Amino acid sequence: MKILLMGNPNVGKSVFFNRLTGANVIESNYPGTTVDYTKGYMRIEGEDVEIIDVPGAFSLEPKDKAEEVAAKMLRENRDATVVCVIDASKVERGLYLALEIMEEGYPLVIALNMWDVAEDKNIQIDVARLKEILGVPVVHTVAISGEGFRELVSKIKETVPVEMDKIIKRAGGEA
Amino acid sequence: MKLNVDERWNLIEKISKKTVTFGKYQHTLKDAVGELTVKPLTGIPIAVAILYGFWSIFGSFAGTLCTDGFFVKIFDGHFLPFMQKVFTGLPKWLYYIFVGDPLADNCFEAFGVLTSGLFLAIGVVLPAIFIFYLMLALLEDIGYMPRLAVLIDTVLHKIGLHGYAIVPTILGLGCNVPAVTATRILETRKQRFIAMTIMAIFIPCGAQLGIMEEVIPDTIGLVLLYLITGYFIFGFILNKMLPGRSPEILIDVPPYQMPTRRNVVRKLRMRITSFFKVAIPFVLLGCALVNVLYLAGVIEWLGNVLAPVFIGWFGVPKETVGPLIAAFLRKDLAVAQLSAIEMTKYQMIMAVVLVSIYFPCVATFAMMLREGWRELLGALATLVVTVFLYGGLMHLIGIVLGVA
Repeated sequence: MKILLMGNPNVGKSVFFNRLTGANVIESNYPGTTVDYTKGYMRIEGEDVEIIDVPGAFSLEPKDKAEEVAAKMLRENRDATVVCVIDASKVERGLYLALEIMEEGYPLVIALNMWDVAEDKNIQIDVARLKEILGVPVVHTVAISGEGFRELVSKIKETVPVEMDKIIKRAGGEA
Repeated sequence: MKLNVDERWNLIEKISKKTVTFGKYQHTLKDAVGELTVKPLTGIPIAVAILYGFWSIFGSFAGTLCTDGFFVKIFDGHFLPFMQKVFTGLPKWLYYIFVGDPLADNCFEAFGVLTSGLFLAIGVVLPAIFIFYLMLALLEDIGYMPRLAVLIDTVLHKIGLHGYAIVPTILGLGCNVPAVTATRILETRKQRFIAMTIMAIFIPCGAQLGIMEEVIPDTIGLVLLYLITGYFIFGFILNKMLPGRSPEILIDVPPYQMPTRRNVVRKLRMRITSFFKVAIPFVLLGCALVNVLYLAGVIEWLGNVLAPVFIGWFGVPKETVGPLIAAFLRKDLAVAQLSAIEMTKYQMIMAVVLVSIYFPCVATFAMMLREGWRELLGALATLVVTVFLYGGLMHLIGIVLGVA
């Protein structure tokens, strides 16, 4: 099994990667820290799982070389499950990338990261409702402290690809 | 089923309306500080203060405290005499390679692999990169880099880049190798080429800065001025010459964050470990190589052949050829070697600038090749022209001013 860690720039993918694999990749507080991919391993329910830390991207249509690497990693790992890390205070743009990935037929789990920052900004997200509409697991996390990681890991094997028309229907009507 | 861009945004809007509620946003102290550091009127003085602070801490910690205050005393006072005594029995040529000049009383002049090589790597460069990366980690984790990018945006547009190019440039001040890869955050090929090329030519790495701070403390300012001026002149020319777009800056300025000790320590450890793995072998290897070439007479021969160019065009003594060979392996080593050559102050400035701009070190070279051989060839062509034009121009300025 393979997991791709994807998401917009500077949402904490590398923090996830280091936490999950015990590996060391550079983490910083600016977009574009990771410009190349790194592979690592973790065990989920007794199975060795490969995790790839993918450079940040806003969409699968690349506008710089780091995003090109991201789109290429996704194409080259057809069998992967994607953990899409979303900045909980900037949900819409994160969902854009998540939907694009789901349209390509990948099973996906959403981590609403920086949950604490969103709370500080008085942004509330109905996680249960979001999960219901999207039809994929949604977990809120604070990667720096490790909050929500256990739940996230437990959902990785549950998720399956979802058809867009179902999401559109559940979101209430025509796209 | 796949959606087009509009359909996707429509869907997101519907989802967001059902799941996300935005409460009233409270303006915090963090936001206020954030604005102060990004608005030009207050931001530019703050940036100057931060960079100046960075530079003075770098110099006083690495140069004054660690190297002069500690390592010089240990290496020159105890280690060098010890090595000179222990290895007296060695055949002459082996002694020369590993211990160096038997009459030397300091590690800058001895130039043996185990004396100067170790001294430079551990006594000079290690403190420099330690303090550099510690401060860099703090700036990175606080979230200051994107703000610096916004402030310097207008200036960098003049050379075909935008503000975010400051990120690879600052990383390059630590080490050019990761900085080459970091240019990937720039949008177009033109921008990447310009950023990579002028960075590889003009930006000295942390190791080199540490040595410069040590051997030419009085004139390092002038050397840096030459390098920065060159960075902008050749960036400007490349921008005019090359086809391609230079788009506007479009970045997220993240909120300020308290750096966590865990992450700062880990980053520091990672970067220093990679220094030990990559740099130290190259410093020692470079030392050995140069000594062998001296013994074989290659350096003297090359020096004589190239003397007209060196003396006539660049105004440096022909002995500079030795350091220039070493510079291909490690720039820090080359600068240290320069310090052992008899030179006037003017020649020293010229020689240090030449060593800095003349060729990226082999590790940077390999990294540039990874980004594409066309880019590498282009960068090399630019480099050859730059070295001759800029080197010649500097010498001309020296002649005109009457200091040459």
